Amino acid sequence: MGLPDRLPVLATLSRRLMTAVLLLASLAGCGLVVDAIDLVHPLVRNELDAICARHTIRVGLSVEPFQPFVFPAIYTDEGLRVTGLDVELIREISAALSQRCGRKEPIVPTLRLIRFRSLFVELSEGKLDLFVSSISANAPAPGRIGLMYSTPYFEAGGIGGIAARPEVAERIGAHLRRHPGQAAEAFSGLTVAVQEGTTAQLYAESNLTKSRLVLCDSLPAAFESKSPPIDLILGKEPVLEYTVRRSRKDWQLLRLDSGKPLLLTREQFAVVTEEESYQLQRFLNELLFRLNESGRLTEMRRRWLEEDYAYPRRAATEGLPFDADKMPQHYDQGQCRLSDHRPR
Amino acid sequence: MKRIWLSAMVGLLAILAIETVVPRAGWAANRAETEETARLLAKLLRAGRLVIEENQPLIDDPHKGDKGFTPEAFEQQLILRFRQETGIDLSKLQSAPITVPPLAKELLPAFVTASKEVLHDAQIVINQRGVGYKNFIPATYGSQAAARFSKQTRVRMKQTTIQPRNPKNEPDEYETSVLKWLSGRPRAEAYVSELTDQGQTLRVVMPIYYVTACLSCHGEPKGDLDISGYPKEGHREGDLAGAITVTAPLNRP
Repeated sequence: MGLPDRLPVLATLSRRLMTAVLLLASLAGCGLVVDAIDLVHPLVRNELDAICARHTIRVGLSVEPFQPFVFPAIYTDEGLRVTGLDVELIREISAALSQRCGRKEPIVPTLRLIRFRSLFVELSEGKLDLFVSSISANAPAPGRIGLMYSTPYFEAGGIGGIAARPEVAERIGAHLRRHPGQAAEAFSGLTVAVQEGTTAQLYAESNLTKSRLVLCDSLPAAFESKSPPIDLILGKEPVLEYTVRRSRKDWQLLRLDSGKPLLLTREQFAVVTEEESYQLQRFLNELLFRLNESGRLTEMRRRWLEEDYAYPRRAATEGLPFDADKMPQHYDQGQCRLSDHRPR
Repeated sequence: MKRIWLSAMVGLLAILAIETVVPRAGWAANRAETEETARLLAKLLRAGRLVIEENQPLIDDPHKGDKGFTPEAFEQQLILRFRQETGIDLSKLQSAPITVPPLAKELLPAFVTASKEVLHDAQIVINQRGVGYKNFIPATYGSQAAARFSKQTRVRMKQTTIQPRNPKNEPDEYETSVLKWLSGRPRAEAYVSELTDQGQTLRVVMPIYYVTACLSCHGEPKGDLDISGYPKEGHREGDLAGAITVTAPLNRP
């Protein structure tokens, strides 16, 4: 076939090419180009297959303790370990992934102990597959966009409070007896500490307009704060309750007259992944359903929240090693500072 | 029970008798060197545990971040403590008196290196600020240092006690009999040694005793939970805490 014979074919091809370019150009503004290409040839392969291929799941855990969900990293007879309810959940996830991947080698969790606020950043940067650390599901905040939460593995969460002195707890109790349900008013005039980046901060900034709000890097930093001295700490109620029962017996958990802990909100804890990790989220939700149906989740909650146990022993026998190089060097639990009270 | 006690007694007496009768026989000379080396290794581990114990308030200080308790700082204190206990200067080991066997001159520095590796790995936990108890205690240091040393040499070291908190430290039948025998006797610097594997292996068992610092976790009131959540054992100062076992082949390790 000579060139003259080829001209009509070339003209047709160039017309089609131009049409395709114009079509793509018209879609570009709304990001549909990527979607269109992705439909034809997926740019990102299934994240579950990626985990299977690399034999490891990259899990983020908060280096600030949220016991009994995440205990402080300690030294054991087996070396450095971290343990807690969330760590037991990671073991379950890894075991289920090993089964799913169907290979001889198990899927090993690679734990990165990083600052709480860095969990969200590192997930969005693709450095983690998921993270757990008694994270409250679906808390609307600017730093939490692009995330997906699993179905809850712990439903009895919520924001509670602990008072530094009995008279503070009594004052709050007396106010609540006179004005039931007006907890925020009851904290008026008090210096209230919350951990930065947690839902307690979001709650406090939205509701505690008459309190002096202090942002702390961690719960231990709030306990240590001398300037200013803290009257009240707000945080995850199960964590606060466990802490005052086991280690900070000098603080008082805020309770209602019925004896039940005072809850300012109800929260559910979930496993967090990237927004587009659909396969991984479906996998997690199915696993959590099975764990719930079999009673395994109830058993996990019971053994970590109700049983008497030595957590160093559990850390040695069932804790997980972690990537010490990624743990902030000379980690300290940080400081506290006054908040500008600007709702985020 | 009586039989075990008797066998321990008989074993000890037999060893003492053999040492008295044939102290310089060919195999005995090798045995003497190995036994002295094992004894010094056990003393070195015991000294390391004491250094950790002395620094426990610093390690568990929640108000301090960088503790300065580095592998090098530990090494200096270990050398000092070991010299106090044995008169041997680990920093001048090659010029040490003839009483320090060549085998010990090889293995004692290896144990110091293993200990420093443990301290290096533990820095990240030790230097946490805001966290008090970190479980870096004499027992966990000892377990890890002994495990690393054992992996790098042909000499096996182990901490053991009756009813250990760590199941891996469970005593075997022989160690149980020795521990029971030792617990019925006043505190002493004595140690027990025996030949096993048809005389191919030597085992030295050296007792360790509770000192005041141990009692916040292992003392009274019995049954109360200690800082790590374990029930206290109700011990008193000077009670037998356990033993360090050193097992070495008699052909040169």
